[in-house]
Amino acid sequence: MAAKLSRGEEVILDWMAALGNKPFPFQKEAWDEFLAGHSGLLNAPTGYGKTFALFLPVIIEWINANKNWQEKKNNGLRLLWVTPLRALAKDLQRAMQEVCDTISLPWTVGLRSGDTNTKERARQKVKLPEILIITPESLHVILTQKEYPAHFKKLHTVVIDEWHELLGSKRGVQVELALSRLRGLAAEEGRTIRTWAISATIGNLEQAMEVALGAGASAGKIIRSRIKKEVEIESIIPDKIENFPWAGHLGTRLAARLIPIIEQSNTTLVFTNTRGQSEIWYHALLDTYPELSGLIALHHGSIDAEVRTWIENALHEGALKVVVCTSSLDLGVDFRPVDTVVQIGSPKGVARFLQRAGRSGHRPGAVSKIYFLPTHSLELVEGAALKRAALEELIEQRDPVLNAYDVLIQYVCTLSVSDGFYPKQIFEEIKKTYAYQYLTEEEWFWVLNFVTTGGSSLAAYDEFKKVEVENGHYQIKDKKIALRHRLNIGTIVSDSMIRVKFMKGGYVGSIEESFISRLKPGDVFSLAGRNLEFVQVKEMNALVRKSKAKKAIVPSWAGGRMPLSAKLGQVLRETYVTAAAPESFNKRTEIELKVLRPLFDLQAHLSHLPGHNETLIEYIITKDGHHLFVYPFEGRIVHEVMASLVAYRLSLIKPITFSIAMNDYGFELLSDQEIPINNKILHQIFSTENLVVDIQRSVNSTEMAKRKFRPIAIISGLVFRGYPGTVVKNKHLQSSAALLFNVFSVYDPKSLLLKQAFTEAFNEQIEEARLRDGLNRIYNSNIVLKYPVKFTPLAFPIKVDSMRENLSSEELKARVLKMQMQLEKD
Amino acid sequence: MEIEVLNNHLLLLPQRAIYWQEKQALILSDLHFGKTTHFRKAGIPVPEALFQDDLATLNHLVATHNPKQLIVVGDMFHSHHNNEVEQFAEWRLANNLLDIHLILGNHDILGKSKYDELNLQLSDVYVRDGFTFSHEPIPGTSSFNFSGHIHPGIRLEGPARQSLKFPCFLFTPNGCVLPAFSKFTGLSLISPAVDRRVFAIVGQEVLSC
Repeated sequence: MAAKLSRGEEVILDWMAALGNKPFPFQKEAWDEFLAGHSGLLNAPTGYGKTFALFLPVIIEWINANKNWQEKKNNGLRLLWVTPLRALAKDLQRAMQEVCDTISLPWTVGLRSGDTNTKERARQKVKLPEILIITPESLHVILTQKEYPAHFKKLHTVVIDEWHELLGSKRGVQVELALSRLRGLAAEEGRTIRTWAISATIGNLEQAMEVALGAGASAGKIIRSRIKKEVEIESIIPDKIENFPWAGHLGTRLAARLIPIIEQSNTTLVFTNTRGQSEIWYHALLDTYPELSGLIALHHGSIDAEVRTWIENALHEGALKVVVCTSSLDLGVDFRPVDTVVQIGSPKGVARFLQRAGRSGHRPGAVSKIYFLPTHSLELVEGAALKRAALEELIEQRDPVLNAYDVLIQYVCTLSVSDGFYPKQIFEEIKKTYAYQYLTEEEWFWVLNFVTTGGSSLAAYDEFKKVEVENGHYQIKDKKIALRHRLNIGTIVSDSMIRVKFMKGGYVGSIEESFISRLKPGDVFSLAGRNLEFVQVKEMNALVRKSKAKKAIVPSWAGGRMPLSAKLGQVLRETYVTAAAPESFNKRTEIELKVLRPLFDLQAHLSHLPGHNETLIEYIITKDGHHLFVYPFEGRIVHEVMASLVAYRLSLIKPITFSIAMNDYGFELLSDQEIPINNKILHQIFSTENLVVDIQRSVNSTEMAKRKFRPIAIISGLVFRGYPGTVVKNKHLQSSAALLFNVFSVYDPKSLLLKQAFTEAFNEQIEEARLRDGLNRIYNSNIVLKYPVKFTPLAFPIKVDSMRENLSSEELKARVLKMQMQLEKD
Repeated sequence: MEIEVLNNHLLLLPQRAIYWQEKQALILSDLHFGKTTHFRKAGIPVPEALFQDDLATLNHLVATHNPKQLIVVGDMFHSHHNNEVEQFAEWRLANNLLDIHLILGNHDILGKSKYDELNLQLSDVYVRDGFTFSHEPIPGTSSFNFSGHIHPGIRLEGPARQSLKFPCFLFTPNGCVLPAFSKFTGLSLISPAVDRRVFAIVGQEVLSC
C-alpha cells in the first residue's frame, strides 16, 4: 500500500485497526475496483467478510466526496443491497449500522421485506434511508408505488447478495428486471449504476456476472477471495459392510454411530433430504439416545415459523446439541456454535453438500467438518465421489432462466400500477437484460396485448379490463385490480398449505392440503416430531390432538425427491472407474472404495464393473420376466425419460410392453416377453436421432407441462391466490390452473404461457440437454452387455425402488430382506 | 347413448345435456354464462372464445333436437350482469318460442327482473310428470331427481400408469346428476359404486363405465 491513502480509506482503516482488524487482500481488491468505478462479481464464501468488501467502499467514496460527511443528513438512497433471505437481512443491517454509528456517519441502514411493518413502510414511502437492504419481491413492491423514480435519484450502487441462490430461478429474473428499470432511470439523468453480485463458487461464475450486469454490458471484474474453505469429509463406514443393506433410503440403522459424534461436538446439524426423513431421524435419535431429550430439535419447512425462529435462536445461544433439518437450514445466518454437520444419504449435488458442510466452522480459518452417512452400501461410493469433487472444486452450474413470459407479465403490470409506462422505452430496457435479450418484438406485443385486451378478438363485446392505454401510455387505473396485483407480486409458488392447529389452540406447522385431504378422522400422523391425531378441518386449519399411538403416518411431502446433479453423476462415474481397477488401489484410494471391495468383487463376478468409457447393460431373467438394467448415472429424472424413450424404441422393433423403474444410478425395463437386444439394436436405441419426436411419442409431455403451468398461471396473475391469511372471498374468480391449461389448450393454443409451460417441462422435467448428452455418451461408449444369473449389487437398489411404488413400507422391508438373502446364499 | 328411466327414454348427449324424448325437452345444468367475462372484467384474460363456443353448442342442440322445453337445473349464469348475458338475450330473442325453465342455483344472482326480461320460468324445485328437478341433489327423494351443481367427473385408467379425467352423467337408483354444460368448469371426481351407473363423455361419445 504505497499509494497515498484517501480520507475515506483512512477513516475505515482506523476503524478496523481499532478493532484489531485489517482488510483481507480480496476486500482491498474489491475496494479498489469499486472506487475505480467498476461493476463486477465477488466470489467469496460466507463468513469471510464479503459484506465489508462491498459496503465499505461505498462509505469510503462518500467520505472522499464530502468534506462535511459527518454532518450531511437525508442524503437519499445511495446503496441498494438485495438479498434473497429475510433472515440474513437483520444481521446485515445491524453490522452496517454499527459501522456508520461508530465512525459518526449519520446514515441510516433500512430494511425492507415482507416482514417490514406498516409504520416503517409508510416512513419509507416518504423517504428511503441511505442504505436499504431488500428482498427481490419488496423491490418490485416499491416499483408499484406512485412516483417511485424519485426514490432512486441518488442511487449509484446495487449489490446482489447470495446471487448464486437467485440465479437460475424466476426470483433472479425479477432482480434482472428491477435492475433494468433502475439503470433506465439513471440513464435518463445521465447517471450510471454500479452493480456488484456476490456469489459462492458455482460452475459458471462468468455467466453469473453477465446476468447480473446485463447482456452485453461492458466487461466487469471478477474478484475471487481465494480463501479456500477447508472442508473435512468423513464417511461413516458400517461396522460390518457385509451386513449392511444393499438398498434403502432412511439410514436409521446407523443412528447409534452418530451418538459419539454428537457427544464430541458442540452442536451438530443433521441434514436429511426430505421432511419425512427428518421426522423419522428425529425419532430414531431420541430412541437411541433418550438423554438428548430437550437438547434435540427438528427444523423443516412445514414446522410453524414461530417454532423455527425459536430453534434458530436456541442454535445461536448454543442451547441445542442436535438439530435434525432439511434444506430449511441450508442458508441463512451463521450459527456459531455449530461445529459438526452430518449428511444423511446422498446430497444429490456437490454444491449442496459443500454448502451444508459450510454450516459448520463458520469463523474464518475454521475447518468445516461434515460426516456422510450412507443409507445403503453403494451410496458409500458417493462419499468418495464427494471428496474428489470437493478437492477439485467440481461444482454445478446455475443456468439462468430465459424468456419467462409469466415474470414479464407480472413486471409489466407492476409498472402499470404505479406511474405507468411507454412500451418502447421498457422494451429497450428489458432487451438489455440477460433473461429477455432474445425476446422478439412479436412476443413483446403479445405480452402487451395480454394485459391490455386479454388477447381479445371480439373487441365489440369485450369487457376485458386490466392495463388501460391512453395516448400510448400504459396504466392500471382500477383500484381493485391494482390491489390484487400488489398482493400477487412474487415468483415463489408453494403448494397450497393448510395450517395444523391443536384443538386447544397453538400451531404445530403447516402441511400440504393434498396430504390432509387423504386423512380420515382418527388417523395419526407425525409432524414436528410429534404424533398427532387428526380430528377435522375447520376454517383452513387442520385440527389435531396429541396422540399416544406408537405408529404414525409420516407424510411424504411433495418435492422431496431431488435428482442427482449432472456434476455429481459425472464424478460418480469416474469414481466407479477407479473401483473397477482394484489392482491400482493405493494409499490415496478412498477408504469408501476399499471397504466396498467385497461388493465390487461380487459385481464383477456376477456381471461386470464398468471401466473407462464403458456402459454396462445387464439382461436378467427371473420368474417375474425379462429385466434390462442400464446404468447411465444421470439422475432419476433423466432416467425416467430415457427409460420411456428406450422402451418406446424397443417397441418399434417388436410389439412389447414394459414396466419401468429407476433410481439415480440407472433404470430397469421389465417385460413378460423376451426383449430384442443385440449390439446393433443397442446403438439404435441410444441414438439422438429423432430425439425430440421420439420423446413426444414416449412421454406424456402434456401432463408434465400441465404441472408446470400452475406456477406460471399464478405468477402471470391468471390464478389469484387470495388475500393473505384469509379464506378466499372471491369465489367467483376462482379456477384451477389445470382447468385454465385445458381451456387455453383448446381456445388459445398459441398462448405464450402454454409455450413456456412446455419449454419448462422440456428443460426441467425432461432435462433434454442432459438427456442428449447422456445418450451421446452411451452411444459413443463401449457397451458391455452381460447376462447375470441373478440381480447384481448395482441392479438391486433399482429393483427395490420399483417395488416401493406399489408396496407399503413394511411389506417392502420383508421382501427386501428375502431377496437379499437369496442373493447371498451361494 | 339411450337410457330408460320409468318408461321414459333419455338421450345422453356428448354436448353435456340430456334429451328427454317423450316430453321433447332438453335438460342442462351449470351453464355458467357470464363466467368468462366475469374473469375478463377482473383482468384475468380467459379466452373469450370459450363462451362463444358454449353458446354455439346450445344453439346447435336446440337446432338439432328442436325441443319444446329447456330445463336448466341451476347455475345458468355465473355472476352479475355482463355482456354475455346480453349475447344470450339476443339468442333468446331469436328463439323466443322455446319454453325455458330455470331452477335457481347458488350462482344465479341476476335478479327476477332480468329473468323476466329473458322470459325464463323460475322455480326452486320443479316437478314435472313424476320427475323432480333441483339444483343440488335432494337426498332421500321418492321421485326421480335430476340435478347438477356437483360437476361430476370420473377418472379412467389407461395402460402405463396413465389416467385421464372426463365429465360424466351419474345415475343412482332415484336420480341423475348432470355434468356441467360449460367448458369453463372443473370436475369433482366421483367414485363408482354398486348402485351407481356412470356415463363418461369422451370426445364426441358417451361411454358406459
